[in-house]
Amino acid sequence: MSSESRTDGGQTTTIEDRPLKRGPFSRWVENSIKNPQRVYRSMFYVVTVFFLLTTLFPFYWLVVLAVTPPRLLSGVGLYPPGFNPESFLIVFERVPFHWFMFNSFVLGIMTTVIVLVLASLAGYVFGRLRFPGKTPLMLAILAISYFPPAAFLLPLFELFTGNVGAVIGGVYIHSPDLFNTPWPMVLPFSALFMPLSIFILTTFYGQIPDGLEDAARVEGTTRLGALFRVIVPLSAPGVATAGVLTFISVYNEFFFSFLMNNGEAENWAPIVGGILGLQGQFDTPYHLMAAASVIGVLPVAILVIIAQEKIVSGLTAGALKE
Amino acid sequence: MGDVKLEHVTKRYDDVTAVDDMNMHVRDGEFVCLVGPSGCGKSTTMEMVAGLTMPTEGDIYISGTNVTNLPPKDRGVAMVFQNIALFPHMNVYKNISFGLRLRDYDDEEIDRRVERAAEIVQLEGMLERMPDEMSGGQRQRVAIARAIVRNPEVFLMDEPLANLDAKLRVHMRTELQRLHKELDTTIIYVTHDQAEAMTMSDRIAVIDSGQLQQIDPPLTCYNEPANLFVAGFIGSPAMNFVDGRLTDAGFESKNFSVEFDPADLGLDAGTDVTLGIRPEDVYLADERESVGDPTMVIDAVTDVLEPMGDEIFVYLLLSEDAETGMDAQDSPDQLLMSVDPDSAIEEDENVDVVLDRSRVHLFDTSSGEALLHGLVAPAQAEGVTETEAESDD
Repeated sequence: MSSESRTDGGQTTTIEDRPLKRGPFSRWVENSIKNPQRVYRSMFYVVTVFFLLTTLFPFYWLVVLAVTPPRLLSGVGLYPPGFNPESFLIVFERVPFHWFMFNSFVLGIMTTVIVLVLASLAGYVFGRLRFPGKTPLMLAILAISYFPPAAFLLPLFELFTGNVGAVIGGVYIHSPDLFNTPWPMVLPFSALFMPLSIFILTTFYGQIPDGLEDAARVEGTTRLGALFRVIVPLSAPGVATAGVLTFISVYNEFFFSFLMNNGEAENWAPIVGGILGLQGQFDTPYHLMAAASVIGVLPVAILVIIAQEKIVSGLTAGALKE
Repeated sequence: MGDVKLEHVTKRYDDVTAVDDMNMHVRDGEFVCLVGPSGCGKSTTMEMVAGLTMPTEGDIYISGTNVTNLPPKDRGVAMVFQNIALFPHMNVYKNISFGLRLRDYDDEEIDRRVERAAEIVQLEGMLERMPDEMSGGQRQRVAIARAIVRNPEVFLMDEPLANLDAKLRVHMRTELQRLHKELDTTIIYVTHDQAEAMTMSDRIAVIDSGQLQQIDPPLTCYNEPANLFVAGFIGSPAMNFVDGRLTDAGFESKNFSVEFDPADLGLDAGTDVTLGIRPEDVYLADERESVGDPTMVIDAVTDVLEPMGDEIFVYLLLSEDAETGMDAQDSPDQLLMSVDPDSAIEEDENVDVVLDRSRVHLFDTSSGEALLHGLVAPAQAEGVTETEAESDD
């Protein structure tokens, strides 16, 4: 408080603000309001660390289990109590794990090929042609991809085991028994994973200038020829994205992979069959199952690391590409 | 080589008729330009010839074969597109040989033909380049090479020069003419640029609102336009139009009249007619001697001058209350004149002008059809000139 003499003899009193007493929290709040970027950045780190922990820790735990010697399995901590890389070899001795992996690859590649061919045709139609009912049809296709696979299981199981039939022309025709073949897996996979690919390819194909397709057709291709000779090569990033995503989805699929075969490698059981096949009647060798899981994850991890740039650009660039 | 015939070709979209009952015959080896304002149906016509668009009605014949229902690849046509449309993922060689490879030619034949095509369009040594490494003109030449390499019966060119800069466009125009001379193939060429049409084609097909207005050699379209649209579209700057009426004494409009006897020219007095006169056929009265057959003097005031270097465009106002607007040549009160660059002429000056009677066009105002070109009746030509000259003095 200070006072000044005024010319008329009176006094002017000025009251100055006293600095508020603030604790560290108040100061932090004040800083955050002035500089929100700091908060956003710290939030980003919190979320990232949380996300990395929840996704990477289980994988770390798998590695820990895999290298733990069997007799120490009951006392595993945050790090392996011993080191026993043998498990990675025993996996291949107990079951033909390489065969299961081969099955997984074949299923993945078959599905990817089917999906890419059919989704290319659909993407051409949705991306480049005009016809009534286009939007509702596209939405219907997308809706299918959100159906829970379990909803299809019973009817498809009945169908693929030859239990569905009808009397046609006086003869009872029943569906083919496809159990223990690749088809009861490949067919539902293709149907379930197709909508995403159709969506991606529609975006890409829709952006190829009409002139290029016209030029190809005048030069001597059919519409189909123009699609596969000009439009598809020019949409390579989109096709790669759709292909990689489809392959990974099939490779990771559990439901149909588990139920549409008897779990034997010679009956087209994929990796899940191999991992569960390690389980004996009297023991559950967690270290072997963990080792098998790690081996199974590696191909996809490598694929993603190689293709990640394409996948990211394919998913985002599709909408922005000139 | 081949001729192209369109018979009653119509293309309707949901609620728009893009091409309306088009009949046209392009002869073998002919260079025909389709011109018209944008949206007039010229590109649709070409797409139907190429097979990229199916006509709603009518038939298209190429070399006598009905190709209406054939896909583009089986029509023996090649096309050059406005946006050039080179395949960006292929180099020049692969672009040019695309059609040949699809038709399973053997490698030596492909090599030979590609070399020859590259030579014609002067692209030797660039066969390994990718399209994005080339300039606009080079890309356009690749597109042309891709079209000629298959020896098509008919070339279709859809505004191939529209995306090039002005200088290159003039250059490519000459090259295309040279190419046509060399190959002697039928060429159908779409453009909205009437200068391109005038300079290159054997015949011009003027199209408006999906209908063929006139198909004739360039100078015929210029000198004897079939109707008001062709008259206004061909020629730059456009023809002057003056609305008026045909009386027993000749043509009468708000500001001036032109004397003649309609009966001599086979016209009926009393109809509404539009007089058309090109800017270069309007003369200053002082220069009347150089005009074979001038009209009476018309009083005018100069409005704006546009010196072009080799000539001056003069906007004339014909009456006091003239409205100056954008459509100068459509107003009965205005006239555009082209004069010699040496003429001593100023803005806002009173001038006397005359029209060259032999270059006056008359159109039926309501139908737009041309009634006659040139006011010289065969028998009376001399007499009219004399009386006209006297009355003017």
